[in-house]
Amino acid sequence: MIKLQNIQKYFYKGEPREVHALNDISLTIKKGEFLALTGSSGCGKTTLLNAIGVLDSIDSGEIYLGNKEISQLTKDEKTDIRLNDIGFVFQAYNLVPVLNVRENISFIMKLQGTAQEIIDARVIEVANILEIQDKLDSLPSLLSGGQQQRVAVARAVASRPKIILADEPTANLDSKNSKALMDMMRELNRVEDVTIVFASHDEFVVNSVDRVIKLDDGKLL
Amino acid sequence: MYKTIINIALKNAYLRKSRAILLILMISLSMGVMLSIEGLYDGLAANMIDKSKRSDSGEISIYAKEYRENKDMKFNIKNTQDIITELKSIDGVSSVVSRFSIQGLSQSATKSYPSSLVGVDFEDEEVFGKFSEFVEVGDLNLGKRGCAIGKELAKNLKLHLGSKVIFTARDAHGDIQSIMFRIKAIINSTNITIDNQTIFTNKSRVLSYAGVAQNTSTQIAIRTASNSCITIIKDKFQNYDAKDFKELNPMLKQMQDMMKIFNKVTFFIVMFVVFIGILGVMYVSILDRVREFGIMLALGYKYTYIRTQVIFEALFLGLGGFVFGSILGFILLYILKHHGLDLSKFADGMASFGMANILYANIKLIYFTSSFFAIIFASILSVFLPLKKIKNLNPTEVIKADS
Amino acid sequence: MNGSHNSMLKNSLEVYTGAMAIYQKDYRDEGGYDYLIYDNAKIFTILEKENGVKEFTSRVETYGIASTDDESSAMMLTGIDFKKESKISKLKTALKSGIYDSSGACLYMGESLAKKLSLKLQDEVSFVGTAIDYSFVADIFKLCGTFKTGMYEFDSSSAFLNRAYFDELFYAQNTSSYIAVSVNELKQSDLIAKNISKKLPQDTKVYTWQELMKAMVELMKVDSIFGYISMGLFFLVIFFVIMIYGFINVSSRIKEFGTLKSIGISDRDIDTLLFYEIIILTLSAVIIAMPSSAYLAYYFELHPFVIEGISEIYKDYGIISDEIPTSFDLFTIAWNTLVIVVLNILSIIYPIYYVRRFTPIEAMRHV
Repeated sequence: MIKLQNIQKYFYKGEPREVHALNDISLTIKKGEFLALTGSSGCGKTTLLNAIGVLDSIDSGEIYLGNKEISQLTKDEKTDIRLNDIGFVFQAYNLVPVLNVRENISFIMKLQGTAQEIIDARVIEVANILEIQDKLDSLPSLLSGGQQQRVAVARAVASRPKIILADEPTANLDSKNSKALMDMMRELNRVEDVTIVFASHDEFVVNSVDRVIKLDDGKLL
Repeated sequence: MYKTIINIALKNAYLRKSRAILLILMISLSMGVMLSIEGLYDGLAANMIDKSKRSDSGEISIYAKEYRENKDMKFNIKNTQDIITELKSIDGVSSVVSRFSIQGLSQSATKSYPSSLVGVDFEDEEVFGKFSEFVEVGDLNLGKRGCAIGKELAKNLKLHLGSKVIFTARDAHGDIQSIMFRIKAIINSTNITIDNQTIFTNKSRVLSYAGVAQNTSTQIAIRTASNSCITIIKDKFQNYDAKDFKELNPMLKQMQDMMKIFNKVTFFIVMFVVFIGILGVMYVSILDRVREFGIMLALGYKYTYIRTQVIFEALFLGLGGFVFGSILGFILLYILKHHGLDLSKFADGMASFGMANILYANIKLIYFTSSFFAIIFASILSVFLPLKKIKNLNPTEVIKADS
Repeated sequence: MNGSHNSMLKNSLEVYTGAMAIYQKDYRDEGGYDYLIYDNAKIFTILEKENGVKEFTSRVETYGIASTDDESSAMMLTGIDFKKESKISKLKTALKSGIYDSSGACLYMGESLAKKLSLKLQDEVSFVGTAIDYSFVADIFKLCGTFKTGMYEFDSSSAFLNRAYFDELFYAQNTSSYIAVSVNELKQSDLIAKNISKKLPQDTKVYTWQELMKAMVELMKVDSIFGYISMGLFFLVIFFVIMIYGFINVSSRIKEFGTLKSIGISDRDIDTLLFYEIIILTLSAVIIAMPSSAYLAYYFELHPFVIEGISEIYKDYGIISDEIPTSFDLFTIAWNTLVIVVLNILSIIYPIYYVRRFTPIEAMRHV
């Protein structure tokens, strides 16, 4: 499904403060996996997640999504990959503030050009799974942190991406909401057969996944 | 896709509705006032030009060579009727009048004033320029010894309707001759030359007084709506001094040009400030949302979508202002067109400059279309500077920030 | 606007009209020889004693027909004291050819009129008119000098004759159509006119330049009205731009105000903060804009715009220079600045009202 070969990534390359963020990372993630990238703060897990999601460029190496090498694509091609193949869940939820919950969930599908009736049905479906069906007409600013994160997950899964990348999804949630979120993610993984990759140092997340990949100072352990 | 983009653009404009309303208010008020000023100046110039054409020059006038330099009746046109017949045969000529003018001295019992005696055919003048509309007091049934006199000249000579006025000048034989008229009409044409120094009477009487043949004139004026007609007449009458309106009235032309320049300067200043207004709103609106755009880029929203969305937002604001500004401008122009701006308190000053006491505005489609395109242009231009900030935005830099 | 108005007035007053004129009461309404001043000397004595009066001279105006062998034209013939006239008007400096201060039957004639009559210097021209006692007057004059003031109508209809010869020919001794008066300070002309009026004979009246040049003064008022409408438009647009920027400044800081409110800062304190901010910005702008705009106004007063040919086009309207003058007037600069300061202060009212609407929680959650 996803194959990373010899990924190198530097920040401030050539400067005295140069950081070797990813150091020769090679990794394969299979379809339907439920795994976590973990490690101490600054170990490179978010950088690796961003590289997988073609949000950030790499300095060398190759990233395959299926059989397609995606690290050297143009800006617009990368945007298309993010739109069609990848779903994102961010630590800070990152909902579009002017759109209500329904519009946030359907946002990606609308960009994909999905028919309105399909969008409507899918929004109801994921909203039910994530238990936010009564919040569909609310603006994000009126929701609690847990509710906002569930909307973010709903947005990520609604368009049926091949892979969901979740960066510290529980960091702003209490333990009860964290558990609820992880249960739902597991359920989605099972029901929709979607590959989910977490980047997290939360023990609870690490203990909930099937496979844990540890990083330290940009290297796989 | 565009539906989604427009939807987001509209929601953003609505979310920041206070600043949107302020901007729309600014554009509409300034546009409304600007259109009124433009219409009023245009109306003023058009009115002066219209009255000048109707009362004197038409679109083109023919004189004998040297007449205009010397204002001497000895430089006259002898075969007036033939020329009129020839002119009327030209396609596009709507009417033709001939006039005979003598320079001399008008006298009342107590005062004298340099003036012109102009012989006209009032029926022809009516067709030519609705001359009767210039009559402020009295009527044009002059009878045997009647005359119509310019308003300011009558005022200077302290004359009223029914008063006698004596005109003295040298005739074609070199003898000083006087002729007495009774004032039957007072003329207010807002044409300074006519109002300040002209006495009108029947042409045949003036010709007899001057001692010249009946087929003589000093000016033949032509009305036509066609520019090519003016060129044809100039070509055809090269032995005469054929001059179009602009050549005969450089002051009015200059005045119209000055007003046009003033209107353009006002237009550009207002549109520049509108641009600054939209730029400010859009700049801050975009900078406020750098993070939001970062999220959208991360989710698969392309930069081109963001650009389109932001342009739509700017257009909503600009067009909102345009719509309300057009409505306000039209209402103000409509009032000024039908009720006018009454400046009769300054009648003497207005008359001295050849202006009517009540100024009426023009309403032209071009006022609205030029504003429309300028506002569209300003709106689109205003987003390019702030969009530069978004173009090279790396989503990973903003999505980690606190919400 | 002020610059060109002052210039038009100054030109017109200086060329011929003068700051004020003394007439027999009904002359301007009725006209003619029945309403002349018949005792110049008495009025001269009063004027000599009046502080603020700079110069004065009497003029007698009459109209008639001037003819040469081939041409004739109506002419305003005015009897003047050439010496005194040179101190009160610009007739002497308008000399184009020949001599100004002539004696005997010598005419000082407008260049356009001389051209109209095909007259050259030393040519003869006959004049037919009416004397003060309504008797018939005819004489032959010699053209001794021509002038050009730039006022077309004046130049194409006027001629001047020395008083001694004029008085004898027209029986105009000690008589005048009016007495033109110049003053030291134009702004004082109303006051001086009032003082003189008290001392003058009952049947005379003093007209100040505002009355003498009513048309021009009115025209300037109309021009000012249009000017103020345009300025109003610019001020309106500027006001909105300031308000929009003020509002943007405030609305992007709503969260900050929410935090301030939540830690106990009152609405009134926030109002004061915003008010101080706008005052600081306004004063900064004024400190930059006022000297630079004042310098521009001063510069253009010293070096006016020149539009070639404008005097030719507008010669009928008292514009006798190609320069577009600018007036450096501290009062104008001060009131314009004041308007901008007031607009700035007014522009903060709505943003203050806008901030006040938010509760601390709403403000902190503001998107």
